[in-house]
Amino acid sequence: MFKTTFVHGLIAAVLASVAAFIYNHIYFFATEVDFSKIINTGSIIGFSVLICITATFIYYALVKWLRKKGEIIFGFLFSVVSFASVMIPISVSLPLDIKNPELFPGLAVPMIFFPAIAWFTLKPLFPVKD
Amino acid sequence: MKKLIYPFAAFALLAVSAFTAIKSQDWKISDNYSIKFDGGDPSGEFKGLKGTISFDPANLAASKFDASIDVASINTGNGMKNTHAKSDKWFDAEKYPLIKFTSSSITKTAGGYAANGTLDMHGVQKPVTIPFTFDNSEFKGSFEVNRMDFNINTAEPNHGGTKFKVDIDVPVTK
Repeated sequence: MFKTTFVHGLIAAVLASVAAFIYNHIYFFATEVDFSKIINTGSIIGFSVLICITATFIYYALVKWLRKKGEIIFGFLFSVVSFASVMIPISVSLPLDIKNPELFPGLAVPMIFFPAIAWFTLKPLFPVKD
Repeated sequence: MKKLIYPFAAFALLAVSAFTAIKSQDWKISDNYSIKFDGGDPSGEFKGLKGTISFDPANLAASKFDASIDVASINTGNGMKNTHAKSDKWFDAEKYPLIKFTSSSITKTAGGYAANGTLDMHGVQKPVTIPFTFDNSEFKGSFEVNRMDFNINTAEPNHGGTKFKVDIDVPVTK
């Protein structure tokens, strides 16, 4: 079961990274504001892998412990944590040499949800067997 | 008449060179200046520095600073804090768009110089002394400002600190 969950998490991380890359390019094209010091290839992949692999462990533990209820609790937990995390890019202070910090939440807030969206999108492809 | 040409030319040259010497006390502000403030949280910087700097270490009596910064240029690194700082609750950038400093006297101190003058911020004028150094065409100074003295959000004295350390670094050219 862990192998299935791990592959699920890994592919979700790849999907979230691809979505973040595309959104990053679209945002730069639309605003021409450069946040590459903060959000770049390394940080996008690192963030996506960190969230999705952490989700893998939490999901595995909850399903192992609570079975069907664990899956429901995980869904709520992932959504609530993702939603609460929007405060991070809104409240963070960027280095002063970065222009237009007011545009940073517009880039980072949607990206916060990409790991959860990727995880839930792929979930039907990785059914958990008892 | 010819005899007068050379003395006249010498006098003219002297007059022009004296004028140049007086003008050389005026400095232009370079673009890479920084005006940073630190109150713990928030901290940040201002841009939009404009003004006239007349400074001659050998003639402090004739030296004078008259500078202003654009309140709307405040940057804390956070868009939400920038918006709040410019609002009528804090700096009220719309009503008081500039922070001005005008020196009344400049004196020599043990560590450099001190500019005594008036700081005009948020519609309040207060006398301040800014200690500074001048080396390699660069002014560096540091002083402390208490926002309560300038009636800036006096309703919330515990919100975002009251005392701010201001660090000024202004390279200049002739």
